[in-house]
Amino acid sequence: MPLDAPFIQRALIEALLLSGLAGVLGSWIVLRRFAFFAHGVGTAAFPGLVVAGPAGVAPQLTGLAAALLYAGGVEWLGRTRRVATDAATGLALVAALAIGVILASDVFEAPASVDRLLFGSLLGLSDRDLWLTAAALAVALVLDLRLRRSWLTQGFDPATARALGVRAAVADPLLLVAIVLACVVALDAVGALLVTAVLVIPAATVRLVAPSVPTLQAGTAALAAVEGVGGLWLAYELNIGPGPAIAVLGGSVFALVAAVSRWR
Amino acid sequence: MAVIVRAENLAGGYAPGADAITGVSFALEAGTIAAVLGPNGGGKTTLFRALLGELPLRRGTVELAARPAYVPQTDRTRHDFPVSALDVVLMGAYARTPAWRRVARADRDAARATLERVGLADHARRHFGALSGGQRQRVLIARALLQDSRVILLDEPLSGVDATSAARIDELFAQLRADGRVLLVATHDVEQARRWDQVVCLHGRQVAFGPPAATLTTDVLRRTYGDELVILAGGDRAIAVEHHAH
Repeated sequence: MPLDAPFIQRALIEALLLSGLAGVLGSWIVLRRFAFFAHGVGTAAFPGLVVAGPAGVAPQLTGLAAALLYAGGVEWLGRTRRVATDAATGLALVAALAIGVILASDVFEAPASVDRLLFGSLLGLSDRDLWLTAAALAVALVLDLRLRRSWLTQGFDPATARALGVRAAVADPLLLVAIVLACVVALDAVGALLVTAVLVIPAATVRLVAPSVPTLQAGTAALAAVEGVGGLWLAYELNIGPGPAIAVLGGSVFALVAAVSRWR
Repeated sequence: MAVIVRAENLAGGYAPGADAITGVSFALEAGTIAAVLGPNGGGKTTLFRALLGELPLRRGTVELAARPAYVPQTDRTRHDFPVSALDVVLMGAYARTPAWRRVARADRDAARATLERVGLADHARRHFGALSGGQRQRVLIARALLQDSRVILLDEPLSGVDATSAARIDELFAQLRADGRVLLVATHDVEQARRWDQVVCLHGRQVAFGPPAATLTTDVLRRTYGDELVILAGGDRAIAVEHHAH
């Protein structure tokens, strides 16, 4: 792998920035059981990404708009109680994928880009992509510093959170916003369908053995960095997509750690 | 003695137009343990929510000399969370700790002292989920003690705990009463309620309030529990049998 090539350097920096997001937010995604929400946000952003190219705007912007529309739609459907939340989520995800595919292949007639949008391209990033990921990481770090006790208490013991002086009504929506931002900036690297490979799988793996939240966050960041760089190397050497390579590597490590921790 | 907790004709609920509790009136002085007695769904936890300011009140008033601490049932907590017993107790200091600061040294020392007070000093570093049910309950009580409130609301703290923990909790209750604190203890166990100073009987509405010896008559218990009450042979003891929907 040519480390002096700018596209490889950008890919490595992005992998490390995403590992920071995985450490800070991935841990909360797993602890607070927002893994499916994160997967949903990634998938829902797909039609937004399709529109970005022909519209000449940043894909992160249209992806964010689509993701927020999805999150708001699911929340509204759930609140009306006319549709169960899981059914509403399934409905929204199928609609997002179908609309994205129709837009890409029949409206904008660019079917070749569908693979890239769904599975990402860590090797084709711009400087702007890196700056956006860095900004999302900065936001995540600030929110984590300010709200981690609220997120912890509300997750561990929601019945008592308010009596302990925790304001979950503000903290939890901000956690969801941070997750949406993290998913959107990860889309270029790993695509709409593999966001969880970066934001969920490393945290779920370390979760099997971590004794505390700080250990979980540090361990997740380290593992995500190793899997990101390792997946990138595998992708380059085997001439396969970096997103799928990272996902397969992450899944394999998870299976190994799960088996070993169970055996011990 | 000073009244620490007073409820006057309290009524409220979550669903529009439907009161979960109604007609609740009582006053508790410093150094009182009060049982909140009633069947499942009778309004015990709802009354606690009202005292915590989390229940929309439709009528009546609540007066508290201090913001209450709350001890939930242990099965309301996530046992899979990567937190130690000490981590859980330290949550009791969150309200007075700025978000960007570590919990103060004094509070960390106090947290260890409260763990010692509930007999779990040696378990500070143990994973909360790995403790027994009774030990987990004691950790949650230690967390409430760190909040240092004069009013503590405990939701079924003796339900399903081992004998050692039950004895420790009983002993602790006596100490807290001597400290002048007010404890409201939700229970569906009539015999437990008889051991404490006051009892509030709830079945959606308040059925009765007063000292257990005068209050827990067969008639009051029948109105509190309805079909769930069984009067034992001789008529001097009653037990509540919980019915669960399947």
